Parts: sequence; C-alpha cells; structure tokens
Amino acid sequence: MKRLPRGVGVLAIVSIAVLYLPLVAVMALSFNATRHGQSWGGFTWSWYAKLFNNEAVLNAATNSAIVAVTSTSLATVIGTLLAIGLRRLPLGRWGRTSADVIINLPTVTPDILLAAALVVAYGIFRSVVAHFSPESKFFDPGLTTLIIGHVTFQVSFVAVVVGARLKAIGNEQFEAARDLFASTWGVWRRIILPQLAPGIVGGALLAFTLSLDDFVVSFFISGPSSTTLPVLIYASVKRGVTPEIHALSTLIVALTMIAILSIAILNRPRMTKE
Amino acid sequence: MKSTLVIDGKPTNRLRLWLSGLGLVGAGLLWLSCFLIGPLLALSLLAFASRGDYGDIIWQFNLENVWRMVGFGTFGWVPDNLLIIGRSVVLATITTSLCLALGFPLAFWIADRDRRWRVLLIAIVMVPACVNLVIRTYAWQLILGNHAPPAVFAQWAGFIPADAALYPGQAAVYLGMISAMLPFAVLPLYTSVERLDWSVVEAARDLYGGPWRTFRHGILAQVTPGLIAATILTLIPSLGMFVVSDLLGGAKYMLVGNLIQQQFGAAADWPFGAMLGLGLVVASLVSLLILLRWGSREGRI
Amino acid sequence: MFRRLALLTVAFASLCAAADKTPVTVYMYSEYIDPAIPAEFEKATGYPLRIEVYEAAEDMLAKLRAGAVNQYDVVVTTDAYVTQMIKLKLVKPLDQAKIPNRKNVDPQFANPSFDRDNKFSYPYQWGTVGLIYDTTKVPAGMAPTWKWLFDAKSQLNQFVLMDEARPMLGIGLKLGGASMNSRDPKQVKAAADLLIAVKGSPKCLGFDGGVGGKNKVLAGQAIAAVCYNGDAVRAVLEKKELAYSTCEGSNIWVDVMLVTSQAPNSDGANAFINYVLDAQVAAKISNFNHYATPVAAAMPFIAADDKTNRVIYPDAATMKTLEYLEDLDKDTRLHAEAWTAVKSH
Repeated sequence: MKRLPRGVGVLAIVSIAVLYLPLVAVMALSFNATRHGQSWGGFTWSWYAKLFNNEAVLNAATNSAIVAVTSTSLATVIGTLLAIGLRRLPLGRWGRTSADVIINLPTVTPDILLAAALVVAYGIFRSVVAHFSPESKFFDPGLTTLIIGHVTFQVSFVAVVVGARLKAIGNEQFEAARDLFASTWGVWRRIILPQLAPGIVGGALLAFTLSLDDFVVSFFISGPSSTTLPVLIYASVKRGVTPEIHALSTLIVALTMIAILSIAILNRPRMTKE
Repeated sequence: MKSTLVIDGKPTNRLRLWLSGLGLVGAGLLWLSCFLIGPLLALSLLAFASRGDYGDIIWQFNLENVWRMVGFGTFGWVPDNLLIIGRSVVLATITTSLCLALGFPLAFWIADRDRRWRVLLIAIVMVPACVNLVIRTYAWQLILGNHAPPAVFAQWAGFIPADAALYPGQAAVYLGMISAMLPFAVLPLYTSVERLDWSVVEAARDLYGGPWRTFRHGILAQVTPGLIAATILTLIPSLGMFVVSDLLGGAKYMLVGNLIQQQFGAAADWPFGAMLGLGLVVASLVSLLILLRWGSREGRI
Repeated sequence: MFRRLALLTVAFASLCAAADKTPVTVYMYSEYIDPAIPAEFEKATGYPLRIEVYEAAEDMLAKLRAGAVNQYDVVVTTDAYVTQMIKLKLVKPLDQAKIPNRKNVDPQFANPSFDRDNKFSYPYQWGTVGLIYDTTKVPAGMAPTWKWLFDAKSQLNQFVLMDEARPMLGIGLKLGGASMNSRDPKQVKAAADLLIAVKGSPKCLGFDGGVGGKNKVLAGQAIAAVCYNGDAVRAVLEKKELAYSTCEGSNIWVDVMLVTSQAPNSDGANAFINYVLDAQVAAKISNFNHYATPVAAAMPFIAADDKTNRVIYPDAATMKTLEYLEDLDKDTRLHAEAWTAVKSH
C-alpha cells in the first residue's frame, strides 16, 4: 500500500511480543500445579475451580467491571465534549494556558494526591448532603465514590486523545464542508464525528484500562463492600500473587479477545473509503 | 481565527462562541472544579502546615516544607531528594523515548493495514493493559527468573553465573516500563498517523529526497498533535510510577512516587507529602506547557 | 437528583441490613485467618463476618484517616501503630465486660507498654523478623549471623533485604549497639550509612517484601533473605534445606485487635475479639498461620510440630535479644529521613 521500510513491520511485531510475553506467562501460571509458580508442577484446572468458589475475588471482579464500564461511559462523554468545547472558546493567550492546565491537571496529579483531593471533596460533600438528608450515605466510600473518582482522572485522558485528533483534523475540513452542507450539526455528524471516532474510541479504551488498573485512588475511596480487583491484588501481594488471580487474568484476556474478534468479524466494512 | 471569528466554517460572534463553548465544556469544568481543582487548592494549604507528634496536622503555616523539599532536614542539607527527583526524571525520559521509538513503527504498521484490521490491531495493543500492572510485572519476574528459559540460556552462554536471574537490573526495569507504557504511546500516535496525508509525504520525498528530511517535514509536522499527546500520556504517568522499578529493579532506589507515598504512609507526614505532590504537579505542568507551545509552533510548519 | 439517589441508596442499604444481624467487618492482612472461621463465628454469635484485607499497616492507617473509619468494626494491625491510632482517635476503648476470654491472654502479652491495661487492644498473633537462609550454601558450622549480610568480608553471595524501614534500620541500629527505637540522630545516621554500604554491594539483590525475599531463597536465586518467621516456617515445609534465625537480635512484634472509633457494629466487634481469644479458636488461627499465639490457654491445642518449633516459639535466651518497635512520635521524621537516605544514595 504505502511502502513502509521493512524494519517497521519487524519492530511492530517485536513490540507486540513484548506486550504479550507477560500475558503468556500469566496464562501458563494459571495452569501450573505449583502454588508459587517458581517451577512447573504439572497441568491443572484446579485454580479455575477454586476461582469460581472464591467469593472475594469474584465480588472484586464484578465491582471492577461495574466501575470501569460506568465511569468510562461518563468520562468519554464529558471528556469529548470538553475537547470539542475548548476548541470553540475564543480564549486569549492566558485563557488558552489555563484551559491547558485544567484539562491536563488530572494527568499530572500524582495518584496519591488525587486520592487525597477526592477524600477532601467527599468530606465536604458529605457534610453538605448531611445538611439536607442526615441519613444519606451517598458520599460514603462505595461504588458511587469510586465511579466519581475514576471519572475525575479519566476525563483528562479522553480529552487529551480526542483533542489531539481534533487538532489533526484541522479547520479546512470544516470550511470545505460548510460550502456544501447547511447546518453545523450536519457538518459534525457527517464529516467530523466519523473522523473523530478513532480518537473517541481510543480515549475510551485508555480510560477503561486506567480504571481497571487503578489502585491508589481506589484504595482510598472504596469501602468494604466495594473492593475492586487491584485493591484485592495489592493486598494479597504481601503473601505472593495467588494462582486464582492468574486464572482470573487469563479469563479476562480470553473474554476481551473473544469480544474483539467477534466485533471484528461481525463488523465487516460495508464500504471501504480508501 | 482570532480576527475573523469563523468556527466550523461559519462566521459567528464572541458571545455565541462563549455560550456554545461553555455549554459543551460545562459538565467537565464543573466536575473537575468540584472533585479536583477545589480540593487541590485546599491541599495546597495543607502543604504549608506541619506534622504533629502523632501524624496529626498542625494548622500553623510556615515555609519549612519548602526547605525540606530541597533537602534541608535533620541531618543538615542532604542531596537525597534531588537525587530521587533526578533519577525519576531520567527514568521517565528514557522510558518515553523508548516508547516513542517503538510506538511510531507500531502505529505506522497498524495504520498501514487494511481498514478492517486496524481497529482489531489497536484493540490488541490495548488488551494487555486490561491485566493488572502488578500481575504483569510479577510475570516479568518469572520470565526473567533463574529457572526460566531466557536466564537458563544466559547461564549456559556464560553471560550470568549459574543460579542467577536476569533481574533485578536496569534492563529489566526498562523492559517492564515499556510493556507498561507502550499502549499509552501507541494510541495517540495511531490516531494521528491514521489520518496522515500521504500525498504530502510523497511531495516531501520528491522535494527533499533524504529519508530524515522526508520524515521531518513530510510526516512529523503532520503527526505533531499525536506525538505531543503520546509524550504527555507516557512521560507524566511514568514520572510518578514506582511499582515496576521496585519489583524489577530491586527497590534499591526511591523514585518521586515512593517519596510521596512514604509521607502519606510510613512517615505519616501529610503536609510534607502534599508539598512534594504539589511540587511534582507544578513541575509537570510547566514541562507540559512548554511541550504544548513547542507543539503548536511545530504544527504550523 | 442527589436527594433522590441518596434515598435510593438508603433504601437499598436498609434492605441489605434487614437480613439477620449486622455483619462484623474486620480489616486485616491477607491470608491471616483460617478461611473456616467466618462461618463458625456466625454460628457461634449470629453475626456474619466479613474479612477485608490490606497490604501494609501504614496504608490501612492512611485509609482510616481518610474517612473510612466508619466502614470497619475491627482492625488487626501491628503494635507499633497502636499509639498513633489512639492519639488520632481512630479507635475506642473496648467493652471489657463483653470480653470474658481476656483471662486467656498470656501475661507476657497482657498490659503492653503501648496500651496499659489493654484499654484498646488485645493481641492476635505474634512473631519475629529474621533471616531465612539455605543451610547448604552458608559457611559450615557457623552460627547464623547478621554479618552474612552486613559485613563486607562475610557477605553471602546474593542476599535480599526487607523493604520495611523500621525493621531494617532497627537491625542496623542493633548491630551498632543501639536500640531499635533510638532517637539519637548520630546512631540513626550510622545505621543508615551501614545500610547504604550493604545495599551498594553487588552481592545484594536489593529490597523485597518478606514473601518476595523468601521466594528468591526458595528458587535458589538468593542464599539468604530477611523475612517474617511465619513465612520462613512455610518455606521450610517446602524445602528442608532452609533454616531461619533472628541472629544476634532482631524485632519481635505483636499484631493486635482494635475497635474503630466509629464502628457500625461495636457489639459485634467486641464479640469478635472475645471469640478470637477463645482457646480453641486462637489455636485454630495459629495452626493455619504458623505464627505464635498470645493466648496461653490455646497452647494445648497447638499442633505438636509448631509448639516445639523454635522458629515460632523462640527459647528464653533468644527472647532476650528481641526488641519491640515503639511509636517514635516526633522522631518518626528522623527515621523516615534516614530511610530516604538509604534509598537515595
């Protein structure tokens, strides 16, 4: 097609291999009969059986899934609007700088400080809410606080990725389209959004994995009934990662792979644009 | 855009722009003000308070934490904190460079596939990030462990002594960092590369000829927004990251992330932790703004 | 909208609570309790038992301070943190009348210096920090010594230190003839300098959590590692050539049970503490963990192998060389800065 140097393909394959090597090791460990995985003790399914009897791990996995899906959906909408809106604001030099600062603030804030900020915020909201309904537990550590917290750092990642894409699209497209179409909405729907889509999907993917992987923030704002997978994993690291966790990781990878492949197969391109 | 006020190809006025813009950013702005900007301002007060005997907070404001940050402590002035900061910056910079060096070919390669395969491939790059970072890092420990094939081969070839493993060490740390951060570099790069105008590249090739200048003027100028985004999303998180360095590097050296964590944890010195954290925020913001300015200048070429 | 959501949440919460008694939520280290205990506790007392886990005591403390103190009933944590928790009002006095089993506690562990008259806490388990080593790879006929790690001339080739500030600095202080709880900047600085020299050696594989170090010794990657005695007992069960010692002297710790100041279920919390102090239950926990029990009445029910195991129950002479870590109030900063120095040079 576009004649890339041959080395590019080789490097790409090597990179993907580096990304997948740990997953292969995790998969192997989930079938290893030896508990601490230092050596191969034979093939077994027993960790999978144990996993399905381990209520704590299953609960944590469910919580992680709920939090990741909800927060990613919210953050994708808010973050995309943020990126689009910022482009429209007629800001001066300083206004632009403050906008850059605000949009990137969650990215540059260390996890622990972000957690501390959320703790302060929840403390304030809790006392405000308590004023109106003393029995309310809305801002008590739980799934709600987790979702709010995750959205707070996800928004920025979505906005950065979508913003980069938006910048790359440039103004010419709008201007050219304007000559042919009438409404602003039409320009957005027919021209810009389809081009923006890879950015939005990319931002959402990033946000999703960040949520699944977050430990520090989740640790501080979760309660006993809302433990997420990373919180559970970090706690068990003290005794060594258990093979049940490896079995669960393997299942997550397998399920994601199946989902991706089926989407790819079902979603055959109706018409190629190239 | 500044003088004519045309947006989306449509002439407009400032008021309408403000209204429509604020309508769009409203939700995000409100969210961030409530849960991040406001609380961070409150935390900046905490940074000037001090630690009570039992880790409680004494609300008397002074500059002691600023002096402590630059190294003045119980033992007089020591370079400890500066060493820690320096090491973190080096680790983050090298990691980012490596991720960009590997991320570019990967992004180009994916963008070069058939339309149908692209989404699939980019998803495949992201899948490993669905598995917890700690799990993946422990997996590296096992891959590099003394009974695993790579180490066994190195032992046989005489590169390392018998029974030795391929970690802890610098190489192991960077391997771990790359596998942690690469997806974050590839995504924004890909979103830029995917819509690259190859006719410009052809023109550059005809005009300049050399591969470097073709890349510089034909490609780099077009993908600058993606490059900047990739740098931000890789550099900043790796500045605060310490799990990989602890697990694969032997935890012999603290990084900024460890230092901040120590204040909120073992040292129970939240005011100093807040000061260190805010210091990191300010430093990151400054470098980020420089990057963005440089990017918008580069993008205009 | 917030109010409506809040109402919904409350309705949901009360629905959950409607089932029998309110549960008791216990916050402790992972894999630190026999998994059979929750069901047995519910049978005995009627309270469902929910175990939540954390990795490090300092994380737990930070989390409770950050507003989670009303989420847990009982916290199980290490003795050195008790003073701080009391001063920060994170825990409240126990209801002694509800803990008749307190008579079972070994006098050695009753009335500790950090909590006179056991106003706030009762012990859960105790243990030591020491050295796990491969007997086939250390100099023959030599008593285990910290010199294998700390003396450049006798260093073993490949060893692992523990990634915990207080015990490691403490061992360094003890080697310099000082107390593990020293507040003298000169002594602490000397200990830090010693550790800097030790970690700089090419024979040192660095710092690792107790389990990580032990696993490296099990895999043969290291000859020795600093770890907790309970982990060492498990390791020796896996590989007979390994042994454990507290060498010239080390750290002894007691993990204690406390009730949080805003416990949603105080009665249940006190019931849990009383239940754990029962002779049979305490023995069951110790037989699972391979850590020593502070409940004297439990000794007859301890597994025979464990009862005679000097790694778990050190002899009187060894006990004299062991030292508790104390809260250092304003000098916490001294040790924190020393640890930063260790980790930055």
